[in-house]
Amino acid sequence: MQWTKSDMELYVLEKEYVDTLVIPLIPLYTEVDSTIVNGAFQRELNHLTTHLLEKDYRGRILLAPDYNYIAENYEEEIRRINQWIEKFNNQPAAHVFLFTFDTKWKRWEKELKGHLLWIPSMSDRNLHSSETRSYVKEQVLQMSELIKAYWE
Amino acid sequence: MSDKQRVSRRQFLNYTLTGVGGFMAAGMLAPMVRFAIDPVLKPSAAGDFQSVASVDEITNEPQRFEWIVDQVDGWYESEVQKTAWVYRTEDDEIVALSPICTHLGCTVDWGSNEEYPDQFYCPCHAGRYTKDGVNVPGTPPTAPLPLFDHKVEEGMLYLGQEQDR
Repeated sequence: MQWTKSDMELYVLEKEYVDTLVIPLIPLYTEVDSTIVNGAFQRELNHLTTHLLEKDYRGRILLAPDYNYIAENYEEEIRRINQWIEKFNNQPAAHVFLFTFDTKWKRWEKELKGHLLWIPSMSDRNLHSSETRSYVKEQVLQMSELIKAYWE
Repeated sequence: MSDKQRVSRRQFLNYTLTGVGGFMAAGMLAPMVRFAIDPVLKPSAAGDFQSVASVDEITNEPQRFEWIVDQVDGWYESEVQKTAWVYRTEDDEIVALSPICTHLGCTVDWGSNEEYPDQFYCPCHAGRYTKDGVNVPGTPPTAPLPLFDHKVEEGMLYLGQEQDR
């Protein structure tokens, strides 16, 4: 389910069925022009991927609002993101996944209070081409297999 | 000349006024009638059929077919990918089922659970449907999978709107 009014109305009624939380991690780069473009591309790709995942498993996966962060001080962000995850503790979300293309999180994986789903980003490609579409579909399939393994 | 054919001035005026009045009344009523029956005349955009697959491809085993429709959704106009499970029954009838689980909207798969190879299976909460799309009692879904309107023209299968059952 998405973080929209209509989905949340259904969520509050049926929340015992929705036990998985997926949080997109979106970095903010502003220093170098090329990283700005790449950051925006990552954001778009992140949305495409998580929405595709949500579409197939919308009855069990809750897609949280984006977690935006400044891609500099990860130690500080770890603290804030764990706080964010704890906020969901009063909801029946037993599995928390953090989805990102940002490599830097890998180093801090152990300290996160959720499972990190990191996949390599594509180099700057056309988002609407059929190759991108099939690449994203394939990644979503792999990710959903991983998530399903936690459900069993 | 006989008197019978003579039209008096009064009669002439009566005929003329009735005729003109009739035209005016018709002119006023026609748009009203048009407004009243307008919804009936309007072609239903939702009823559009889309070509999905060649009829030869359809087997007794449900197969997944995908197609794209344009959808205007409030603020957004977007292309939406639609999916259907299509198969042919023993009686040579084509059945096109929506893959959206009637429980909470996940996407169901045909035979993806090893224990139930001849049923539709929902990976989210183990909801099951028999081949005709009817929900198996005791599993979370409470309604059968919706059926797509379908028609066959020149060897192609066209699918329209899904209908709840």
